[in-house]
Amino acid sequence: MPDEKETIIKLEGLTKKYGFREAESFALNNFDLTVKRGEFIMIMGPSGCGKTTLLNVIGLLDTATSGTYFLNGEPVNRIKSRKKARVRSKKIGFIFQNFNLIPDLPIIENVALPLVYSGFHKTRRLLRASETLERFNLKDKEYYMPYQLSGGQQQRAAIARAIVSKPEIILADEPTGNLDSHSSHIVMEELKRIHSEGNTIIMVTHNPNLTSYATRVINMLDGGIDTDIKTVEDSDLPEPVVVRNRRKKTSKKQKPALPNLRRSKKKKLKKRGKR
Amino acid sequence: MALLLKTHLELAKASLKRNKARSFLTCLGISIGVAAIILILSLMGSIETLIKTQVSNIGSDLIVVRPSVERDTVSKIVDELTSSSAYLKSNLTLEDVKTIKNLENIESVAPLAISVNALSGDNAVPSATVVGTTPDFIKIQNFSLKSGTFLSDSLKTNAAVIGSNLANTLYGTAEPIGKTLTLLGTKFFVVGVLSEIDDPINFNNLDLDNSLFVDAEKLAVTAGSLQIQQINIRAKTTDSLDKTVENIKDSLRLANSGDANFSVSYGDQITHPAGSLLSIISGVLSIVAGISLIVGGIGIMNIMLVSVSERTHEIGIRKAVGASGSNILLQFLFESLILSLFGGILGLVLGYGLAFAVCLVTPFDPYLSWEILLTTFITALSVGLIFGLYPALKAANKNPIYSLKFFR
Repeated sequence: MPDEKETIIKLEGLTKKYGFREAESFALNNFDLTVKRGEFIMIMGPSGCGKTTLLNVIGLLDTATSGTYFLNGEPVNRIKSRKKARVRSKKIGFIFQNFNLIPDLPIIENVALPLVYSGFHKTRRLLRASETLERFNLKDKEYYMPYQLSGGQQQRAAIARAIVSKPEIILADEPTGNLDSHSSHIVMEELKRIHSEGNTIIMVTHNPNLTSYATRVINMLDGGIDTDIKTVEDSDLPEPVVVRNRRKKTSKKQKPALPNLRRSKKKKLKKRGKR
Repeated sequence: MALLLKTHLELAKASLKRNKARSFLTCLGISIGVAAIILILSLMGSIETLIKTQVSNIGSDLIVVRPSVERDTVSKIVDELTSSSAYLKSNLTLEDVKTIKNLENIESVAPLAISVNALSGDNAVPSATVVGTTPDFIKIQNFSLKSGTFLSDSLKTNAAVIGSNLANTLYGTAEPIGKTLTLLGTKFFVVGVLSEIDDPINFNNLDLDNSLFVDAEKLAVTAGSLQIQQINIRAKTTDSLDKTVENIKDSLRLANSGDANFSVSYGDQITHPAGSLLSIISGVLSIVAGISLIVGGIGIMNIMLVSVSERTHEIGIRKAVGASGSNILLQFLFESLILSLFGGILGLVLGYGLAFAVCLVTPFDPYLSWEILLTTFITALSVGLIFGLYPALKAANKNPIYSLKFFR
């Protein structure tokens, strides 16, 4: 098949229920969705239609009441919380409406935060965070505290944090919701740049003017999909530049042979190689 | 794993640094408890060392007979020490003293019949320690006389030897030789005054500076009865001390129709009753110190709970960017461990400082040992672990979605 894009997220009959009996309500109701690698999906819809719940379930922060969630072909909605955390730290980057930077940490440490849980040394963490901040023209603000930055700068720092561990998926929950139009434009341009590098972005927004950035626009209503419009063909989606943790595809024969060392040493060497 | 632990340690240190005053005050709570434990252990160690030194100074040929069997269990020691009638239970008699004296390898034997009585000399003393003993007492106990002479076979009747402090209290002078005093209606003449000894804590449980020594037989007649609390024995040679002890036991058992309501000890065993007393005191004081440590621990728990509550949003962010529950648990647990460890170190310094201060005004030397340091270290860490676990678990179990919505 010509240029068939790989499915990265697949949701089948996903249901998220809140409350009991009379107070029962459905944030997601038998929700089906397939996301291809490299898509920039804009999710819109009225308040309470389940947009944020969908994002939380995709980001493994929340668990669906029923249904199946496949991430890279593997069902993940029932895996243990420790493994979910590992998936979050390596494969998913979050961007929030209110930036969610830790107020007591300088910007560089906020950006380096996901790397703490990926097993990076402090020096390497800060180096990587500094490199990422440079991309967002925030290098001179590395050691500023979050409150010393403007809303737009804080959101750019938050985006830097989301991509610092080079995740495959970026989930953005109204990233421009708290920003003026100028800052919104800058933030969207940054997201566009990240998308052009091959990342998959799922973004929730209320602003219809931003849909021009998306390759697919989904309108949600009452926990389901109302409309789903693709503005770009799958074949025209950008190619991923670097995708981490795809070693599964390399067969054992292709793996470089390690000398006959103790298992712990092998692990260390493997880790070093990974970084 | 080591890297992750190091990272958690760094995170914990950083977050504690952010609240320096609060961290210091929390440490202080623990340090007071630890300081109290250090002070008690150090002082008790000092006292025990002091008594052991006294015994070794007196000589390794010293044997002590005490009424009642050896106390092994704590409850028996408590019983022994708390029973007000303990002295009255003594079944040692002057006959036993004579029996022992006639045994092989015995140099000298001195009974100690201790009672508290009112005395009147130039001044009246409502309660003074009166010791009924024999002339051998001075041969066993290496102390000197300031003036006069000790009790002797020719100077037994109505003769009394007086401790230096008691002499001052009773007569207002340190030289009361030839003066009289009245004990239980009987007149005694002061024939000697002891040099100042300043050893209120010793294996005789007797403050020699504040005691009056009279002949045991005379005291028995005066008081109507005699309760011997201890018989001090000096052996001729130390070579067959075991055999001598066995001889003493056998002969006393024989003299008491087979009853063995006494204990014969030598060497380190001599300090046993004083040691038991110290164990009880240190036990009770340790409970008090333990309570203050628990209060300190509750302080840690309280502060950590406040910290968890304040940092709920931060926990949400950390979880969103990839922290697992155990990551959060370790971070908060490390914080409480650091707090308790610093509290422990501060308490150690504070405790030893206090122990040194106390030793300046007491005859003890401060006692330092690795056991005390280890106890402190383990105690402090245990407090941190026990009291930090609940807040850490609470932090680890926080729902990330709820936490992200939580703002200070």
